[in-house]
Amino acid sequence: MNQMTNPNADHCTPMLRVAGLSHRVPLETDTLTILQGVNLEINRGESVAIVGRSGSGKTTLLGLLAGLDTPSEGTVELDGAMISQLSEDKRAELRASRVGFVFQSFQLLPALSALENVMLPLELAGMDNPDKRARELLERVGLGERLNHTPRQLSGGEQQRVAIARAFACEPAVLFADEPTGNLDNRTGQAVSDLLMALNREQGTTLVMVTHDEHLAARCARQLHIEAGQLSEPTAEESVS
Amino acid sequence: MAASQKLHSVRRDWRERDVRVVLAALMIAVATVATIALFASQLQRTLVSSASTFLAADRQLDVENGRPIPDSWLEEAHSRGLRTGQMVEFSTMVFGGDQFQLVSVKAVSDEYPLRGDLEIQTREAGPRETVRSGPPPGEVWINPRLLRLLGLTPGDTLEVGNEKLTVSALLVREPDGGFSMSALAPRVMMHKDDVAATGVIQTGSRVEYVYLFAGDTDALESFGAWLKPRLEPSHEWRSVRDGETLSRSLQRAERFLLLGGSLAVLLAAVAVAVASRQYAMSQRDTVALLKTLGLSGPGIARLYLRRLAIWGIVGIIGGLAIALPLFWVLAGMLGNLLDRPVELYFDPNAVFPALATAVVSLFAFAYPPIRRLRDVPAMRVLRSQPTGERRELWRDGLIAVAAIFGLVWLYARELDLVVALLGGLVLLLLALGLVGGALIAGLRRIRGGGNAWRLALVGLYRHRGASLSQMAVFGMTIMLATTLLLVRTSLLDDWQAQLPEKAPNHFLINIAPDAKNDVADFWRERGHPLENLYPMVRGRLTELNGVPVKEAVGSDRNIGALNRELNLTWMATLPDDNKIVKGQWFAPDTVSGVSVEARLADRLGLKLGDRLTFTVGSETVTEPVTSFRTVQWDSMKPNFYMAFPPGGGLEGLPATWITSFYLPPDQKTELNTFTRQFPTISVLEIDHIIARIQDIIRQVTLAIETILGMILAAALVVMAAVVSATLRDRQREGALLRTLGGRQSLLVRSTMLEFGVLGGFAGIVGVLAAEAAVYALQYRMFEGSFSWHWSVIVPVPLASALLVSLFGRWQLGPVLSVSPMLLLRRLE
Ligand SMILES: Nc1ncnc2c1ncn2[C@@H]1O[C@H](COP(=O)(O)OP(=O)(O)O)[C@@H](O)[C@H]1O
Ligand SMILES: [Mg+2]
Repeated sequence: MNQMTNPNADHCTPMLRVAGLSHRVPLETDTLTILQGVNLEINRGESVAIVGRSGSGKTTLLGLLAGLDTPSEGTVELDGAMISQLSEDKRAELRASRVGFVFQSFQLLPALSALENVMLPLELAGMDNPDKRARELLERVGLGERLNHTPRQLSGGEQQRVAIARAFACEPAVLFADEPTGNLDNRTGQAVSDLLMALNREQGTTLVMVTHDEHLAARCARQLHIEAGQLSEPTAEESVS
Repeated sequence: MAASQKLHSVRRDWRERDVRVVLAALMIAVATVATIALFASQLQRTLVSSASTFLAADRQLDVENGRPIPDSWLEEAHSRGLRTGQMVEFSTMVFGGDQFQLVSVKAVSDEYPLRGDLEIQTREAGPRETVRSGPPPGEVWINPRLLRLLGLTPGDTLEVGNEKLTVSALLVREPDGGFSMSALAPRVMMHKDDVAATGVIQTGSRVEYVYLFAGDTDALESFGAWLKPRLEPSHEWRSVRDGETLSRSLQRAERFLLLGGSLAVLLAAVAVAVASRQYAMSQRDTVALLKTLGLSGPGIARLYLRRLAIWGIVGIIGGLAIALPLFWVLAGMLGNLLDRPVELYFDPNAVFPALATAVVSLFAFAYPPIRRLRDVPAMRVLRSQPTGERRELWRDGLIAVAAIFGLVWLYARELDLVVALLGGLVLLLLALGLVGGALIAGLRRIRGGGNAWRLALVGLYRHRGASLSQMAVFGMTIMLATTLLLVRTSLLDDWQAQLPEKAPNHFLINIAPDAKNDVADFWRERGHPLENLYPMVRGRLTELNGVPVKEAVGSDRNIGALNRELNLTWMATLPDDNKIVKGQWFAPDTVSGVSVEARLADRLGLKLGDRLTFTVGSETVTEPVTSFRTVQWDSMKPNFYMAFPPGGGLEGLPATWITSFYLPPDQKTELNTFTRQFPTISVLEIDHIIARIQDIIRQVTLAIETILGMILAAALVVMAAVVSATLRDRQREGALLRTLGGRQSLLVRSTMLEFGVLGGFAGIVGVLAAEAAVYALQYRMFEGSFSWHWSVIVPVPLASALLVSLFGRWQLGPVLSVSPMLLLRRLE
């Protein structure tokens, strides 16, 4: 077994280590710099909120942290593996075993039922009895009665709860959430974020959450600000020392 | 709506993938159906003009032992724009070089031949010249054998009755000579205007008047219809189709074209149906939005109807824009193949089925799901709601079946064909429903699993709705394409068997018994051993069970075989291509009995044991019928209605021998040596006719291959359309699977496996349904017999599995090439 998927990785190494990260995309005439010189460390079990205005580069950063894309410059080390240098397949393997996602727009497969959507990552990871585990999770998020409904038959909050169940299905080491309440009203958003935080605590997952919701951000141990592709941490000195 | 806005909306439509698929399906539908119909109609023309030379005209009116037809009939033909010509045929004695000889005279008018040409020589063994008309008045052209028999040379005089005519050329080949072996007496061709002066034709003479007609197919048809009620029993209105040799091939080729066209119609309809249904689904949200904006249900229906109409116009124009150049290219290929320019013939009627296909499939298949859009609740904008679609689906299904039936009927007008095809389709859908249902139920038990196989099977279960309908369309497409492939193969095999590479192309007739061995030696020395050498006795069938035969079968039935002498033979063994259908072939040492050709026996109403009496010269022979046998009249070998056992009824009667053999073109000069050595033997050259038939078969083959190609291309498009119907869902799924950590290779393998299983399964069911349809078609239309076609049963499902899994792979392409991040952004 190689090091990057080693579950017994040294507890002292941070879960995420980012150095000199920049991201640029080519436009028709020139190139657009979305992220510029980002440095960041996130420890195991920590919960971190990344706050910023729309268009500031939050989703891009999250995608790079999760290895969904490769940066133009810099390195990303996730759970001891240099994911910015891994092949796409190795990163996929890593995602399957260590990473969970919650998206702003839920990203459930419309053709599949709630149950099947939750079973998907379990099947990919080759788990036994994906059916049983998926049912348990859906019950845990309060959708035990809606197993066979398709996303179109569920409300936004319900869809996001399915997505949360899916994200925790494989007991990920780190969970990335991109504005999980962004498409929901206040009260529903509150309920969904409660659920997210609760599951996070239960499983001891490292949480990296992007949001523009100050309340939600405040529930995380650390808050980072991003503006025009540059990251800053107001209380950085205190938390490092 | 202003024109600019309309244009804008079509252009906006075009940007939607589903609309592009509908439009592409429509264009392909129109293009395939129109091309096939145009080409079929063109081919029919060239075929008929190729084949017409066998009659020297497009149609013949034969009058046997009757009077000439009234002039008013010919005037009627002229008034319909037809060209006409005349021939008079009779036998008579001619005098030349101090000898008498019985000859068969053909007196022709100036117009002869209306189709085809003649070959003559101006001296014996001289070069052959091709001419387009018969001899002028005062001259005769005679068969080379007659020249030798009478010891004449070109320029000498031949007396026909009271007329002295100059022998100006030797007649080597006439277009309508055929290979009827009745022309035993040597041929003399003269001008029709000289006939009266010869004084040979008296009332009561056996004379055949033949009238030739040529012109436009429509005019011929309408003249034929006008003529029908006026015909007398001694009249026979003939087209090439009625001829023995070609009729079967031509009819089968025509049916194949019909079948191909019908399949094109079906496939096109399926493609339009699939694509438009997909479009309707994708429009639901838009419609819901329009409703919340205040558009009424009828308003929405109008909006989409207008859109359909515009698509129809675009589809038809686009389809024709493909069909016409394609047709032009094909007609050019036909010309190349035939080594002569082919007159382009755009049959406007041929375009009609294409238009009907477009309009009907648009309104029968595309409209219903789109019409249902007006029932989409506005609430859908906020929340998707299950709609009560079941009952409506049934109605749509019925409309679709009726429309398909109507279209194929419109196209083919053959109930058998329609029933066989639709029956096959229904069987297929039933089988798919049952087996597919069972398969899905089986798959339901499979749960999870990381490996590609399990993921693929789970995928099949997950997408069961889409999988089943894709399977149905693949199955249908495969069935239709396989049906055509099988029918094509059997047709081509048949033709190949009928006219093999070295089919006999020369007949030797009138071989005296004592010359038999010398003739055989002559050809053996030159490398052409004679294989089928048969004795031949000419005799008339006069009595059936002691009753004059015309009374026995009823005088109202005009059976040609009773009006002329038949070729009788004896043989010990049954020829390879004959088959006994009833009774027994002669046992060794049997000397009694006669074997009768089955169709003639049928027409005469014969039973085994009936006693037939033949008159041969002054003798009579009576024998019981001991068997009926089928004969391959188009085999280019000597064939006989009546066969006796050796030493049987024909024993002791005057016989000559007849044979046919293959002589390669470069050895034709051997014939000169032969005729010098055996001056009394007639050589019948049919190499020209065989070349023509092979020519025709080549044309038909090209047509068949082309149509098969087009159908296969259309089938591919239909399958691609069906696969692409789920493209967006698949891509979203692929992107998400990658995000969730699926490896690319796993994704590829499981997708290909999933589609492979689907394609293989559809292939199996499709091939079985094709076997059923082919059985029905062969049985009813192509007169074949059923057998399993292993050549398709195994490879077609495999090919289908491979092809469909490649389609799946192709669909996945964009999912693999970009980062999951970008995919998610795009899909948002
Ligand atoms: N692939 C891309 N091509 C072009 N522009 C991009 C691409 N990805 C992101 N952007 C742009 O980069 C900026 C940051 O995007 P994003 O990370 O989604 O912001 P946020 O999530 O903070 O709203 C936006 O202006 C977005 O339009
Ligand atoms: Mg974002």
